[in-house]
Amino acid sequence: MSIIRISIALLLPCLASAQKVDFLKEVQPIFTARCIACHSSGKPQAGLRIHTRNDLLRGGQNGPAIVAGHAADSLLIQKVTGQRGLRMPPSGPPLTPQEITLLRAWIDQGAVWDGALETGPPLAALAPRRPPVPAGTAVNPIDRFIDSYLAANKLPTAQPVADSLFARRAWLDITGLPPTLQELESFRRNTAANKRTVLVDQLLARRRPYAEHWISFWNDLLRNDEGVIYHGERKSITAWLLAALENNTPYDELVRALLNPAPKSGAEGFLTGMTWRGVVSASQNPPMQAAQNSAQVFLGVNLKCAACHDSFVNRWKLRDTYGLAAMFSEEPLELVRCDVKTGQMAEARFPFPDLNIAFDSTPGATMESRRRAAASWFTHPDNGRFARTIVNRYWKALLGRGLVEPADDMDVPPWNRDLLDWLASDFADHHYDLQHLLRQIITSRAYQMPAAPDSAEKAYLFRGPTLRRLTAEQFEDTISAVTGDWRINSPRTETYATYTREWRLKSDPLSRALGRPIRDQVYTERATEATTFQALELTNGPQLSQRLERASRAMLGQLPPSPENLYDSKLMRSGKSEVDIDITGVRELHLLIQDVDSYDPARVIAFWANAQLIGPNGATPVTAAPVLNIADKGYTRFRAQATIDDKSRASDISPAVRFFIFKEKPDPDRLIRIAKPANGQQSHPLDDAARKSPATLAQTLYLQLLQREATPKETTIAARILTAGASTTQPAGLEDLLWSILLTPEFQFIH
Amino acid sequence: MTKELFQGLSRRDYMRQSAAAAIAALTGAAPNLLAQASKPKATADSVILLWMAGGMAQTETFDPKTYTPYENNLESNRVLSTFPSIATSVDGIRFSQGLEELAQVMDRGALIRSHRVGDLGFILHSRHQYHWHTGYEPPQAVAVPHMGAWVAKLLGQKNPDMPPFLVIGQNMEIGAESDPLKSFHTSGFLGTEWGPFLITDPRDAIASVQPPAKMSGGRFQRRYEAYRELAAASPMAREGSSFQRESLLRSMENANRLLQSPASKAFDLTLEPKGSYDAYNTGRFGLGCLLARRLVESGARFVEITSEYIPFRHWDSHENGHERAAGMKAQIDRPVARLIRDLERSGHLDRTIVILASEFGRDMMTEGKPGREVQNQVKQPDRITSPQHYGMHRHFTEAGSVLLFGGGVKRGYLHGQTADERPCSIVKDPVTIEDLHATVYSALGIPPDAGVEVEKRPVYVTKDGKGNPVRALLA
Repeated sequence: MSIIRISIALLLPCLASAQKVDFLKEVQPIFTARCIACHSSGKPQAGLRIHTRNDLLRGGQNGPAIVAGHAADSLLIQKVTGQRGLRMPPSGPPLTPQEITLLRAWIDQGAVWDGALETGPPLAALAPRRPPVPAGTAVNPIDRFIDSYLAANKLPTAQPVADSLFARRAWLDITGLPPTLQELESFRRNTAANKRTVLVDQLLARRRPYAEHWISFWNDLLRNDEGVIYHGERKSITAWLLAALENNTPYDELVRALLNPAPKSGAEGFLTGMTWRGVVSASQNPPMQAAQNSAQVFLGVNLKCAACHDSFVNRWKLRDTYGLAAMFSEEPLELVRCDVKTGQMAEARFPFPDLNIAFDSTPGATMESRRRAAASWFTHPDNGRFARTIVNRYWKALLGRGLVEPADDMDVPPWNRDLLDWLASDFADHHYDLQHLLRQIITSRAYQMPAAPDSAEKAYLFRGPTLRRLTAEQFEDTISAVTGDWRINSPRTETYATYTREWRLKSDPLSRALGRPIRDQVYTERATEATTFQALELTNGPQLSQRLERASRAMLGQLPPSPENLYDSKLMRSGKSEVDIDITGVRELHLLIQDVDSYDPARVIAFWANAQLIGPNGATPVTAAPVLNIADKGYTRFRAQATIDDKSRASDISPAVRFFIFKEKPDPDRLIRIAKPANGQQSHPLDDAARKSPATLAQTLYLQLLQREATPKETTIAARILTAGASTTQPAGLEDLLWSILLTPEFQFIH
Repeated sequence: MTKELFQGLSRRDYMRQSAAAAIAALTGAAPNLLAQASKPKATADSVILLWMAGGMAQTETFDPKTYTPYENNLESNRVLSTFPSIATSVDGIRFSQGLEELAQVMDRGALIRSHRVGDLGFILHSRHQYHWHTGYEPPQAVAVPHMGAWVAKLLGQKNPDMPPFLVIGQNMEIGAESDPLKSFHTSGFLGTEWGPFLITDPRDAIASVQPPAKMSGGRFQRRYEAYRELAAASPMAREGSSFQRESLLRSMENANRLLQSPASKAFDLTLEPKGSYDAYNTGRFGLGCLLARRLVESGARFVEITSEYIPFRHWDSHENGHERAAGMKAQIDRPVARLIRDLERSGHLDRTIVILASEFGRDMMTEGKPGREVQNQVKQPDRITSPQHYGMHRHFTEAGSVLLFGGGVKRGYLHGQTADERPCSIVKDPVTIEDLHATVYSALGIPPDAGVEVEKRPVYVTKDGKGNPVRALLA
């Protein structure tokens, strides 16, 4: 070993050990040119990554790559000289003696790492590109690109999927709900050649269901949630976003409203981000969050590393992130590197210099002028990356895998650049119309191909859409739509509860297990893996089982309607509320006090004070028992004071209760009155045929849940489950069949 | 899958890794593990975290100072402890009165009196709890996991029929701080396989591993069999990726097996002998300790039992602090001591680290860190005129106490020291959250810079991979 070192040192006397090696100029270029291709993120060879000094010190499967100060003991040197195992790099010429000497000297001098390794693919161009549509017979230009792609890669073209499967995809992808039996039937019977396109247009025109489905996609991207409090700022944009989707607001306009929100527009929440009480790391203050989020979501640029220090994994520098953050900051921003102030001030600028928008950069200029410039810059027609990023996200949402993967790194080469560029330009040329984009993709044959099978190829080849897992929202909403048992949104301070789709509710253990994120961060992709944990929630979690139990009884007409309350105090935290209600003809009074979320419910003192029954002989004081039997006594009014005792007002009790009166035994889940259901949200008991014949019911459920007929074998199994040993359908049997179908892979995935 | 990777892995591991890799390839969701050059030698393979939620007053528990009894018109600044101290089984270590049982097992563990948590400015419990449980201060640009999820992910399941990571005792809907709580009770970017499995009330734990209410065992089993028949009968069963389909079926099978497995008996506290049950039963927390013992004995990796965080309740005393501390000590003293003795008797203490910790300490005068002004949240009068004011009502982030037992931790050992005079700052051997975590990870055989790659960047079990194990704490 030592002989080699000496000989090289003799050959190159110019490189005396005293001469300091410049990492950035001398060492990093060697890594970049010869090592990084294999020892990078993802699946580095031999487990060795070389993005940081730590990576080298830690090493890979064969141990540390370097021992700082000891080149001779460093595996890296032993490998590049061929002393140990396969010589590195394994392809191309070996490193030159000069290069090896530089590496040795660098390690001997302590392996000082004073810079970032620029890795990953080079930056993709910013400008839009309009490739010509290839010749061919396909009507949808997407398919011309796909046909020529398939031909070039010698891949088979597939027939579009059958009507029933297309219906399932289209309905779930556009509205998030399955078709009703009638809708499915009429679509399947339709013989018109263009019926799929017509269907897509019809579904897109249903703006409310469309908006209520796509809002979850946007909530994830924009990190928006309802009713979430962080002891700081977090402003909901829900009302604005829902309206923007319903109005099909063009995407560029939508983003301009987010990046330069008019006061009280309702769109301010995106820039506000999320703040917590107390001191927050400089990398996470609102302007820095805005920079990272807008770059990630709208441009597929990851500035998260570069919010603390120059990135080790891509080209972005700390000053780039601060430059963009300064666009969204009222105050001048000082660069902070790994929580240490640098004394340098951020200079407001855009991350890609190819496109510039003039703005007033003088110190006194308003943030509004910078924000306006930023909004124009992101959405500028010459910013092709803006359109490419969103069309790629839509492609991924609809076909399971992006044209670029990961979709948050738009510098990775797409598997079909022409298609990506064309789709983006077409989207821009259609005024950034999101519904146009959906229509373009869903009406393509590419979207309508059968799901791609597993493939062993190393590099991705497009063979059709991949299976997509139903989202938590699609899962819950389908149960609601099919059983008629919609979920209930019960605001604490309102008189009426409403039936609702899942997105409007706070996340819960079931929806979280099914992948709904806690939107503390931007989510551009949901976890879709099937886990034991999730299966447990689905198998014996109380939420799903209670829901199916109730829904089954409702479908079989065996669920009596829930009684409505005669009195509802709404949320009370202290004091008294006067009760004076008409009880003419009432036989029983049920007096209830429900804890809403007191800190210490056991210590809350809440009661009905001065309860009186008013009848023909005047007032009769009563003790407020939970149930008062007053049949045939001629009472006409009940008076009392719903009271929270002052002794409960301690900080560690913090009462929050609600008083109710019913005239019969209430349903504990439906104490609050429910507003008249919206169209399509009525419960719909099964028709007679389905109720009488288990086989007919099985067919109905298969059509509603899977959009196809059950096979004879499935019908037999299903009927056996439904009857559970009896001769007719049992509520428990229906519950079990619903559960079984809902958890089959066929239902859980969009094929 | 390369050959190298298969070496040294059991078939089960191999299958699991294959599945994980395939999922990663398909969904991009499961992060890659970073390569690790050398692992510390493991002295423990499971963890029980006893979480004193709300800020446990160190001078009223494990770091007693001069006792000043209550009297009217007492000067607040004179009061450091509102209880006399008691001897423990270790010479030179004294506890606060009310911890007599724990005092008797001090010789089995180590006490850190110099735990120094982060300086996050204006105090917010849930934010400090997030910091302690994840090692990272919120907000973060990626969803960082709870410590338990890291341990579950990096060590894997010990028993395939036992969820690896469980949290006992915390209601997740507690008003305004619910969302911050949820944001760290998560496996974050590691994926939902790694928990946490939440059990709010240990007495109801059995319900989480039984068929749903109103469903008989027979029907439950028939339902699952019918499900399998229907899944197999689907003509779509051959379309698209078989991997995704199979992983769904396998997850259902795992859940079903878990619910029928002998391990599920661990969740049933009614199977515990009455004497033992009663000994633990000081309430929900005490029974949580019992449940944790049963779960760890059945192969759980990481169990957290919390005294429960609810603003202004339990350890979070903003008034009547003396009385409240007495109540909390009565809740923890007997069951925690019993837990240590039981684990020791069954031999599990050797391989289980038990940690008792809190998000910060408390003091009567200082809010936050001495010398750094943050907004006071409690008005403390100069002179105490009512028992209401007699207690540690402010949030003290300079010093807190941590107990460690078992799993290779030194026995009968005291680490660090705080001053005997206010502000009672740390005067010796401060231990940060990073270093405390690194110590625990190390004992589990996990290097402090183990981690995964998230969005191409490395994220480590301790912040930036920089935690340093406190060797002195390990035997």
